[in-house]
Amino acid sequence: MRDRLLILSVFVVASCGLAYELIAGALASYLLGDSVLQFSSIIGCYLFAMGVGSHLSQYVKDERVLDTFIEIELLVALLGGLSASALFAVFAWSGESFRLMLYALVFLTGAMVGMEIPLVMRALNQRQQRFAELVSRVLTFDYLGALAVSLLFPIVLAPRLGLARSALLFGLSNVAVALWTCRVFRAELVRPTLQYLRSLLVLLVLGGGFIAADELTRWNEKAIYGDDVIHAETTPYQRLVLTRWKGDLRLYINGNLQFSSRDEHRYHEALVHPVLGALPWARRVLILGGGDGLAAREVLKYPNVQQVTLVDLDPAMTGLFARSAPLVALNGGSLQSPRLRVVNDDAARWLERHGEVFDAIIVDFPDPSSFALGKLYSVPLYRLLSRHLAENGLAVVQSTSPYHAPRSYWSIYATLQAAGLATTPYHAYVPSFGEWGFIIAAHRPGYTPPQAYRVPMKFLDREATRQMFFFPPDMRRWNVLPNELNNQILVHYFEQDWSQVIR
Amino acid sequence: MQRRDFLRTAALLAGLPLLGGCRQVLGWGLPIDVFRPGMAAGHRLRDAASLPPPRGTRRVDTVIVGSGVAGLFAGWRLAREGYRDFVLLNGPEPDGNAAGGAFGEWRYPTGAHYLPLPSPESAHVRTLLAEMGVIEAGGASLRPTFDERVLVHAPDERLWRDGQWQDGLLPRGLGADDDAQQRRFLLHVKQLQQQHGTDGRRVFTVPTALASTDPAWRALDRQSFASWLAAHGYTAPGLLWYLDYCCRDDYGSTLAQTSAWAGLHYFAARGGHAANAEDGAVLTWPDGLAPLLRHMRSRIGAERQLPGAAWRIQMQGQQAQVDYVDAGGAQRLLARRVIVATPLHVAWHLLPSMRSLGFERAHLPPRAPWLVGNVLLDRFPQEPEQSTLAWDNVVYGSTGLGYVVATHQLIRVALPERTVFTTYHAFADAAPDATRPWLAAAGADALFELATQDLYTVYGARLRRHLLAARLTVRAHAMASPQPGFLANAGLAALRAADGPILFAHSDLSGLSLFEEAAWWGDVAARRVLG
Repeated sequence: MRDRLLILSVFVVASCGLAYELIAGALASYLLGDSVLQFSSIIGCYLFAMGVGSHLSQYVKDERVLDTFIEIELLVALLGGLSASALFAVFAWSGESFRLMLYALVFLTGAMVGMEIPLVMRALNQRQQRFAELVSRVLTFDYLGALAVSLLFPIVLAPRLGLARSALLFGLSNVAVALWTCRVFRAELVRPTLQYLRSLLVLLVLGGGFIAADELTRWNEKAIYGDDVIHAETTPYQRLVLTRWKGDLRLYINGNLQFSSRDEHRYHEALVHPVLGALPWARRVLILGGGDGLAAREVLKYPNVQQVTLVDLDPAMTGLFARSAPLVALNGGSLQSPRLRVVNDDAARWLERHGEVFDAIIVDFPDPSSFALGKLYSVPLYRLLSRHLAENGLAVVQSTSPYHAPRSYWSIYATLQAAGLATTPYHAYVPSFGEWGFIIAAHRPGYTPPQAYRVPMKFLDREATRQMFFFPPDMRRWNVLPNELNNQILVHYFEQDWSQVIR
Repeated sequence: MQRRDFLRTAALLAGLPLLGGCRQVLGWGLPIDVFRPGMAAGHRLRDAASLPPPRGTRRVDTVIVGSGVAGLFAGWRLAREGYRDFVLLNGPEPDGNAAGGAFGEWRYPTGAHYLPLPSPESAHVRTLLAEMGVIEAGGASLRPTFDERVLVHAPDERLWRDGQWQDGLLPRGLGADDDAQQRRFLLHVKQLQQQHGTDGRRVFTVPTALASTDPAWRALDRQSFASWLAAHGYTAPGLLWYLDYCCRDDYGSTLAQTSAWAGLHYFAARGGHAANAEDGAVLTWPDGLAPLLRHMRSRIGAERQLPGAAWRIQMQGQQAQVDYVDAGGAQRLLARRVIVATPLHVAWHLLPSMRSLGFERAHLPPRAPWLVGNVLLDRFPQEPEQSTLAWDNVVYGSTGLGYVVATHQLIRVALPERTVFTTYHAFADAAPDATRPWLAAAGADALFELATQDLYTVYGARLRRHLLAARLTVRAHAMASPQPGFLANAGLAALRAADGPILFAHSDLSGLSLFEEAAWWGDVAARRVLG
């Protein structure tokens, strides 16, 4: 009976062993990307470490086999059980040593796990089992355990419990094996009481961890984002993270703040109303970017607007903002409006391939922080844009900050002019971003800001609008070059600007 | 991590044995197609198989034989001048060295991939570009304004050395002496750009036909670029690697094989400027130069472009007779004039009368074999943190010529979901005669390994995750290599001067395989036809 139970523990031990390997691989590909590389290298490191562990097991003296088995179980329980939480913490708090920690943990856990099976086999062998039968049974359960966890982990544990808790759960299983071994083989242990106490201590640590795991994860993500993460999703295009802190919803794309619900109304009112307030006849509006539906919310306030076309690349983004209750509350359900059409396509490609003309175009592209994004602020793109703009229509372009990034802002301004468009610069203070800038572009000069608005607003009125178009001396126009695709000077300006702001 | 991703990863892992360092892993399970444009038809012509009697005869004023840059440019010029009575024989290798292809919507070059800013002397090319709208303003000025979509976007070039990327192709960090020699060389060729001969012409120009004939400067052609460099104290390994790379890239030959005149020409003749780009910028399209050819074809009109390959060109009294083969069998064209716009080694077999024009077999320029690889990728491989994928990506010290990114010029909010990398390999190190039989017989795997050597150096086996398909284009007689003495080739001079019923148009006449040279001779031939 005892032997049978010992064999059963092989099943548990094997499950846990594979689980730690899978957790480390999943966590590494989750945090570092390139999952094939992460899984390959982690499995390789782990298997090698198991070999080292098996080799070391020969140095355990015969009379201490069961004691050592318990000690190994407890060590594995601690190392493996806390591995996911520890790695996540290291990643959050000090990015550099993450890889070192990852492989060190994987190696140590692997080496411990590698000792387990040889020790069990020796324990059984001492009890005069037939060798052929012994090997066959131990290995059968070893592989069965692996099968069980390889199915359980991706289908049930990882999605339900998360990585941190799954690891802790397997750690607890290791402790259970240790405790049970203490009980059943008490008579054969060299120092049974000590092993008991140790097991209970580890049980306490892991149990506490299991209960506090959520808190721990939140604490770690807080280190990355500063607030509670209420939604995180990696789409084929970007990583979306939504945080909430005391009613302030924030969206981060690839770690960059997109909006804070505290003050997004300032940004979106400033983006939309100077154009739409000046076009009481506008019927067709195009929004490029803005998959959060917040600019669309402002546009849809105008009853004269009959159709809004919103082109945003990522269906996950527009889907999230069309369905999630707090987000729908924020954008007023704009993405579900019958007057709005969502096109999930690359906005620049869509402009190239379609010929529709719009009365107003709202361009809310990401900042020109890379060569690829810098191309969106170029003469060819603005010419393309102007072909979609009605003769008397207006376009507005999100143009970085004239205060923090004056070179970039005025370079975008010069680029719009180089594309033959008449330009009007303006700016607004958005607490989350600082002083932010926009530029209105038209086929002909003569734009005048609205004197009054017919739609409800929180930020803009006649006086606030007037101030937006006034540039005080510290925000005067800089004499910078237009962006040319051949040198992408805007990308250099942008780097230069922000390197002076961020220390 | 999503469950789906996990299962996919697990499945991938189960399918992939341990990823070792072996290079073959890149090609496993990948559909690889090999193209050898013109080979079968060219070898039939060489082996002088007999031709059945022609099934029909058509009279036309002018026949253009060949549809590479020279032939199409000749046709474009004729059409532009309102001349209608001509046909163009496409030949077995349509678009020649300026051809392109496509994986669905993803286009790529199978030959040349860029055009330098046209120099003031290249008025013929400027006219074409202005007609296409690529030159938006100032076509006749020193600095025309170009369509930015076509000017190569930043970042344009980078170099992989010691496991890291650096901007530009000139290797940096190889010591003060190397840096100093690089600066001295660039200054030297900058002076040569303005150098005029005793006849008042610039010494180095594109087209070369307009260059000075001052014998003092032409004497450069009597030595190799390598010996000229040594004589002028250019010994730094970084600089010499770069110059050797340039010779391979433009001429398919090494420093030691290249004429010093041609080597300097590469740097000193490119005098083009743009109002809206820096000097040294280039024009490029996703499929290389193919859009230029498409434009010329549309101007020529589809009705004047005949499928089929020429077989024999000979005089019948005052008439030139062109026999050719198409899907329907043999056909005959009778014409007042024929523009032979094929490579000269093809013309040699087409025209029994080459000798009577003063051209001997020994006058045939040596030709370098090339391999152009196009790989279709699913998303982009990860780049190191400090570097961005450039348009042209070169590996220091490699025998490959690096890779060009076909989607580089796209303007997109997000990276396109697919891309094509085009790799180039010039077989400069072995004798062409030894390379060609290997190229003719080589299997897809061997060619693929060669075509992807630089990609493997840079990305390693992880590139395999992105590879969807590969198409390899073998151009065993790709281009003329300007070896020492090429300017004095009397046979070429005779063909350049030919103004009888049979005219010649090909970059081979210059001995340099450049778009501008091919276009120049096409233009000259067309003007001779127009009279």
